[in-house]
Amino acid sequence: MPRLASAEQVRRYQESCRRRLEEFPLLVSLCHGTACCTIGAKEVAAAFEQALAGDQRVRFIRSGCHGFCEVGPLVVVRPLGVVYQRVRAAEVPEIVERSLRKGEIIDRLLYGSGENGKACATEDEIPFYAKQSRVVLALNSFIDPFSIDDYLAYGGYGALAKALSELTPQQVLQEVLDARLRGRGGGGFDAGRKWKSCRDADPEQPHHIVCNADEGDPGAFMDESILEGNPHSVIEGMVLGAYAMAGPGGVDGYIYVRNEYPQALKTFSHALKQAREYGFLGEDILGSGLHFDIKVSRGGGAFVCGESSALFRSLEGKVGEPRAKYIHSTERGFRDEPTNLNNVETWANVPHIINKGAAWFRSRGTESSPGTKVFSLVGKVENTGLIEVPMGITLREVVFDIGGGIKGGRAFKAVQTGGPSGGCLPESCLDLPVDFDVLTEAGSMMGSGGMIVMDDETCVVDVAKYFIDFLPGENCGKCLPCREGLKHMSRILHRITGGNGRPEDLDRLTRLGEAMTATALCGLGASAPNPVLSSIKYFRDEYWAHIYEQRCPGRVCRALISYRIVPELCTGCGACEKVCVAGAIRAVPAEERAEGLRREIDPERCDRCSACRDSCPAEAVTVESPARVTGSIPENVTEKR
Amino acid sequence: MDETREQLLKLKIDGIETEARPSETILQVAERLMIHIPTLCYWKFVKPYGACRMCTVEVAVHGKKRLVPACAYNVREGIEVWTGSDEVVKHRKMLLELMLARHSQVEVVRNLAKEYGVDATRFEAMPSEGCIHCGLCVRVCSEVVGANALTFVKRGTDRYVSTPFEGESESCIACGACAYVCPTGYIRVEDIRARKYIPAELCAGPVTPIHVDFLQAVPGVPYIDAASCIHMQTGGCGICSQVCETNAIDYAMQESTEEVDVGNIILATGFQVFDAKRAEPFGYGRFDNVITSLEFERMAYASSPTGGRIVTTDGRVPRSLAVLHCIGSRDKHYNEYCSRVCCMYSLKTAHLLKEKCEEAEVYELYIDMRCFGKGYEEFYNRLLSEGVHFIRGRGVEVSNAPSLPTSPAGDSNQLYVRCEDTLLGVPREIPVDMVILSVGLEPAADATTVQHLFHISRSKDGFFLEKHPKLAPINTPTDGIYVAGCAQGPKDIPDSVAQGAAAAGAVLSIISAGEVVLEPTTAHVDEEVCTGCGVCMTVCPFEAISRNPETDQAQINEALCKACGTCVAACPSGAAKQWGFDDVQITAELEALLTV
Repeated sequence: MPRLASAEQVRRYQESCRRRLEEFPLLVSLCHGTACCTIGAKEVAAAFEQALAGDQRVRFIRSGCHGFCEVGPLVVVRPLGVVYQRVRAAEVPEIVERSLRKGEIIDRLLYGSGENGKACATEDEIPFYAKQSRVVLALNSFIDPFSIDDYLAYGGYGALAKALSELTPQQVLQEVLDARLRGRGGGGFDAGRKWKSCRDADPEQPHHIVCNADEGDPGAFMDESILEGNPHSVIEGMVLGAYAMAGPGGVDGYIYVRNEYPQALKTFSHALKQAREYGFLGEDILGSGLHFDIKVSRGGGAFVCGESSALFRSLEGKVGEPRAKYIHSTERGFRDEPTNLNNVETWANVPHIINKGAAWFRSRGTESSPGTKVFSLVGKVENTGLIEVPMGITLREVVFDIGGGIKGGRAFKAVQTGGPSGGCLPESCLDLPVDFDVLTEAGSMMGSGGMIVMDDETCVVDVAKYFIDFLPGENCGKCLPCREGLKHMSRILHRITGGNGRPEDLDRLTRLGEAMTATALCGLGASAPNPVLSSIKYFRDEYWAHIYEQRCPGRVCRALISYRIVPELCTGCGACEKVCVAGAIRAVPAEERAEGLRREIDPERCDRCSACRDSCPAEAVTVESPARVTGSIPENVTEKR
Repeated sequence: MDETREQLLKLKIDGIETEARPSETILQVAERLMIHIPTLCYWKFVKPYGACRMCTVEVAVHGKKRLVPACAYNVREGIEVWTGSDEVVKHRKMLLELMLARHSQVEVVRNLAKEYGVDATRFEAMPSEGCIHCGLCVRVCSEVVGANALTFVKRGTDRYVSTPFEGESESCIACGACAYVCPTGYIRVEDIRARKYIPAELCAGPVTPIHVDFLQAVPGVPYIDAASCIHMQTGGCGICSQVCETNAIDYAMQESTEEVDVGNIILATGFQVFDAKRAEPFGYGRFDNVITSLEFERMAYASSPTGGRIVTTDGRVPRSLAVLHCIGSRDKHYNEYCSRVCCMYSLKTAHLLKEKCEEAEVYELYIDMRCFGKGYEEFYNRLLSEGVHFIRGRGVEVSNAPSLPTSPAGDSNQLYVRCEDTLLGVPREIPVDMVILSVGLEPAADATTVQHLFHISRSKDGFFLEKHPKLAPINTPTDGIYVAGCAQGPKDIPDSVAQGAAAAGAVLSIISAGEVVLEPTTAHVDEEVCTGCGVCMTVCPFEAISRNPETDQAQINEALCKACGTCVAACPSGAAKQWGFDDVQITAELEALLTV
């Protein structure tokens, strides 16, 4: 195990790693990310190990997340390039026999097979992948995250070698500045500018390089997949940052990983150990004189600790409470010393910028938001998963081209971006390009990359309520507007969804939201009203329906819906009656069929749990939300969306 | 950074151009200019917290407007601040509505809401217990006191203030700082013992650890009680030294002994009260509601823990009380003398009782009524007309059980006072709720020490001996040493003041004379004969003879010598001689007398 002491040694070792990989004519990459592991990837991996035992020609890797989580467990066979979906352990011998030994493609395991659509064999053919532009996630399906040699073989740590031997720290910083890389954690702040102010801060104090891996947004797993799939890219980015921002007072690094990511912690810690062994961390890195190492810190389960000043307090061992940020953390951050904090994805972009240059980076994306962004595309789309797209791609392309359109062919209602800090954008916004400023201006936010697609069976008010209910357990409770404001917002929304909304509630929510945004101490409180305010802006008629007509257009709010079995469709099988816990279903004579029984739901006893609907083989159960009070919506309400 | 060297920068606040240091916040600048910005979580002596957001103001930095909390935002060059713009007021009102929904019963919130014209809230009422989460208690305990005895528990909307594991905090030093800063009164300092008013521990009033003992103290400057001072216990606080404009506070100050050369000394070392525990029959220390007259004075004081109310140990107003004269005085077992002041203060006690406990029966048990002097007899007569029961018969015993069959049975706390009513000629047993013992005066505890230090005598009763009881009550046999006040004998305030003035007058006249008149027939030591044996030094009653450190012989201070001749007689070598009383001179006088 060599310790590399110069850029030249790195290049030579990279070459030797590459050649070693080339000795394997075949590569089988099984997605072993957390998501796929929950649906059987571990068993598939065991099956492959067994089937490939002793086979010297095949390089089998348990890789990080490939991204197409909808159809996992995923297996990619190269150089064929074929992607197999929903692989089960029992199918592994067949894959080994036919695809690996004989080079055949197994049609039934392909994406798009079994439907009327065309079966797609390779990534280029699969629409989910076709429109993506994978930079940060590019290597995920090629490398074993536990092998630093794999990373090196594909050029990893080349940027670091180049920077430490050919560039000055100022040049590294300038490259990042020129790239106009904006923070990928949600703030969208120019990373280069942050780096510069950290570099220029008090030279006598140590400078701290921190990676924010707290990723608290519900449903977000971009950072998790980067840490699990390609941890060395983050390490390389951080060392580059240390090189650019180190001062005479020294530089040290930290990564704050949320405790709920055990797999990511394991992978990253292992990567750190390897990086130290190889000399990419520690004393005199690659002979440049730079001393830098990274410590891992685990979060305590608090969403608020994703906020930078709260994160520093938590890192110091104190309670994670934010403070006002009029004094920048680059001057007084962790331990009141100059600190540069960036998100995982931001760090992962840095080696690419140094390798290929700022101009290359700016060649993708938009003028104000260059580069690519990883999104977690979830909700009512056909293809859910992790995607990386160039900024500037429209929401329509993301939802319909990549996402494959709304599941079940239903109608699109809205897409929620930015998690609890973001907002719901309606159909009229579908042609907006994905861009920091554009999304903010539209009333939402890029956030860390969550994208939740909603169809006409989603209730926007319910979604807003969901986010507002998420926050009260997660905010720090220090400042009045956030602590009390969220309480009242939650109460009002619960009343509205419970059928007890009042006409003045919308005004209340709006005024309260404005006050919270204006006076809250930190970003959590200031952006907390966004889901509510944006949904009121674009979907006011849904709110009015709840309040005035006691009707839920999305047919979700339990207090406002009723379940009905369509007599013409009911076969009388009785499956629904078996699962009904409330005993609300009874058999009645089926007049339509002149014989036999059908089932009927007693609305008084029905709990609206949806068990009957889920179990009906004939899809005979409908959800309805008729207006209980008609004609009372004021005229000025029906705005165009 | 050294504050005096900070460069001043210019800013505008509410239209007023002003200058400030970069280390100052907008709130501090506003305070200087007397511009009022409301705050709820701000206190000068802890770091700004920024939790209540009431101090939000509008600020324009490089032309861009934003809202910031005034308490936490440091001033910058060229900013413009509006503390009461429409935007600011709009949001403040909304914050107040949020506060009213939870804390409508908290006075400081109601007052602030009224100030902004917010009298109703559109939000659902969710009443709180009174804590507005300002965090002042937590911060003061952490930053000032250094005890960290309480903190915020839980996160988010459920956050509240508590002690570790909601129990009694071991690190709490009961300084009361948290209750002091709490703006709502949610935090209180409570007596954790059972609520008994133990008279011996009644204090004269609430004081802070740094305080002036009483108005008449000399010197009239504050001192720090080390036992209760936070700084002495934890090293924290120190606020008094921060606010002292003359930097007069020195925590490291130690007790020091100083030697001062003086020509005159006045001993006014006072008295102590008779320890009522020694008079066992009266039950002091055994029964709950038997107190001394001094303890009664403390309870009746308007700033006492009872607020001046007279109450028994279980908080009730007594229905009947007895005042027993001559406790420890006029008594062969304790002190034979009369303490002089007790009759008058007992009458005063009865008068106060009639005022404070209007319905109560007050009994005065006395041997004689000694109401000497101006207005005193008249006062006694007034009390007779107020309905006080005067029984001429000394109280002999206080008990908690009746002994006469005719005594009414009372509740478990009832006390019974036994005496012989000499006017009626019958023994009496009076049931009362409370007994006040009029304790006499005794020489101060350190009287023996003072006596030996100054070589003065004490009379049989233990008080310092004056030179002549009628003609020189403030002088001692030693010139230059005077006594005044109760050190010389029990007396009341007018007499003590008169004696003090007399002693001062005597001293002043000596000082201002510039000369001392001496006896001409003082003794002197013949240096050629003196062997330094030191016998004369031990016999001189006036401390006039000392040893010369250089010659090792006796030397006599003529100013102190009273020409008594004792040293002359005692000197074994005849070195001590008295002017005018030489052996030759005495022999000559004898010869002249015998030749007639």
